[in-house]
Amino acid sequence: MTATDTARQVPRVLFVVGKGGVGRSTVATALALDFAARGERVLLVEWTVTEVISPWFGKPAVAPGFTPVPLAPRLFVMNYELRAVLKSYFVEHLGLDVFYRRVIEGAAVQRLIEAAPGLAELLFIGQLWWLTTLAENEAGLRFDRIVVDAPATGHAVSLLDLPAAMETFGASGLLALEVGRIGQMMKDPKWTGAVVVSLPEALVAEETGELVPRVAKDLGRPPLAVFVNRSARGLVRPDADTAWLAALSPPPRPGTRDSLELLQRELSARVAHEAALRTAMAGQTRDGVVSLPEQLALIGARPPLEVVQALAPAVRAWLSGAEAP
Amino acid sequence: MTVRLHVMLGAGGVGKTTLSAGYALALAREGRSVGLLGIDPARRLQGALGLTLPDLEVPVPGVPNLSAALLRAEDCLRRWAAEACPDAETRERLLANSFFRALADRFAGATDFLAAVRVAEWIERHPGLTDLVVDTAPGFNAIEFLRRPEHVSAFLEGSLVTWLRWMTKEGGALGGLVRAGARRVLGALSRIGGTRLLMDMAEFVTLVEGVFTRMAARLAAAQTLMRGPGTSLHVVTAVRHDAAQSVAQLVDALATLKLAPSSVIINRAVAPTLGADVAQLDVGAVPPEVRAVITYAQAFGELQAQLVRAASAPGRTVLVVPAALGLDESARLDALEALGRHLLPLRR
Repeated sequence: MTATDTARQVPRVLFVVGKGGVGRSTVATALALDFAARGERVLLVEWTVTEVISPWFGKPAVAPGFTPVPLAPRLFVMNYELRAVLKSYFVEHLGLDVFYRRVIEGAAVQRLIEAAPGLAELLFIGQLWWLTTLAENEAGLRFDRIVVDAPATGHAVSLLDLPAAMETFGASGLLALEVGRIGQMMKDPKWTGAVVVSLPEALVAEETGELVPRVAKDLGRPPLAVFVNRSARGLVRPDADTAWLAALSPPPRPGTRDSLELLQRELSARVAHEAALRTAMAGQTRDGVVSLPEQLALIGARPPLEVVQALAPAVRAWLSGAEAP
Repeated sequence: MTVRLHVMLGAGGVGKTTLSAGYALALAREGRSVGLLGIDPARRLQGALGLTLPDLEVPVPGVPNLSAALLRAEDCLRRWAAEACPDAETRERLLANSFFRALADRFAGATDFLAAVRVAEWIERHPGLTDLVVDTAPGFNAIEFLRRPEHVSAFLEGSLVTWLRWMTKEGGALGGLVRAGARRVLGALSRIGGTRLLMDMAEFVTLVEGVFTRMAARLAAAQTLMRGPGTSLHVVTAVRHDAAQSVAQLVDALATLKLAPSSVIINRAVAPTLGADVAQLDVGAVPPEVRAVITYAQAFGELQAQLVRAASAPGRTVLVVPAALGLDESARLDALEALGRHLLPLRR
């Protein structure tokens, strides 16, 4: 089916889930780049007001719509937008172009559609399915892999929970067919999977502890892995004390001394939070917890793409089933 | 008197919630009558304030003049539904409607709308309030309600909704007496979604009208307030590699709405002397198990200096809030207030 020689089975559509600020786009891009490097045609999907990944590649942000834009060899990006997808869904997929022009395009229906709960999410998932199946024949678009930079926590879970949520509407007709089809795909581990991105910080780790079981419940199986971004494992000994600060010569100014102590405590705390997260996550994911090491030298001046590229060894190790480097 | 609104914007994880609480506390201790609207369900804020925060504001014990509330989507919608429904039976029907339930779920992610409506509700309820500090959802979501003001109210306009309302009021099912235009549209929609979906939708439209009308009025009031002279927008950031980019994006997004932040707050900063002092250190004297701290300090100091330069602009205050030893472990009222005092130069 794909050119990938990964030892781990990774589904065709991979949702990268996590709260804002954890580095979800960074991890999604690192995964997408690795798939592309293996020879796959990869689509990176964002769903946002301002698309962020293209500028890392020196390209303008992709406007919301339904056009895959090339970013790098075999790597494309798309920024989901409800109206563009709605049109493609009715016109290209259902063949209801007259209906679309007469009814759906009307201002009143457009507003109702924006307000209709779950519809944007349903069409989002439906579109992902279309992209991996019929799009090759219908629109000449072929992708081996789709990586979804899933919108912030609450939203992402409602995406994965969609078939169940839609059933409460008691829909019949075409919508019900679509819900049923999408439900089947979400249940298929070859088709859909999720990874959760976290940080070694108290609050984020706590939310991850709640998010992982919710994703497991919504999908009916555990997420593939938890990625701990900005991991400080191996950087500092968590039990190291701060006595060395008093022994420095020349003695640093008080502000500097306090700042050094804070930074040391922060790195140690990251190690401790990650250890706690690993304990809490034991048995809750398919492949366990993957550390993405902090690149201290990259904090600051470098463009974000370098940070993405620095994650490549850890991402590759996970995909090939090896132990972390 | 006009309420001064202090809106904290910023990416996730930069400390908006803690800063908002500290700022509200510091303002209240100065004698102002202050409200704090939190949106982050983080237990830490509640622990620091020493109470469990309900959706409807309560006084914070030990701090005269300070009330606080935590935005809870479901509680808000229930309260507003109760306000707008004429009787208990209508309310129960609304709360049981599948569209309303789905909408309540959906609204959990639309905290910007709810927060805006809550702000207006708060001011209605407390005429003596002088300052309201509002924590917001991370990133651009926080200002989405300004970008698409039609989102809530537009729902009730247009002929489709009129037809749906007529359908339930006349008690008619699909077909039969439906006017020609309505029949075509409703028939097509039922082909897609089924008649039960349509009936549920129609009932929902009828029931929810009052709730939405009230919400839309409050939303409009909040929008006027947001653009008024009493409102200050503060963009909060931490010293992170993506900070300059996310501040710039947020400022740009505000600019498209013809708004500008009055300040950029750089939170959890290190001492400005750090970079220069660390450059003088004899790294050989640093134990190997903590040598990464020195590398980290150099990179952090450099990043912070870059961020201050990037955030500076005419007419804007760049405020550097130093990280405090001990705040994270024991986020008690006094520590919170000490943090919040750093923000007092921003008050008007």
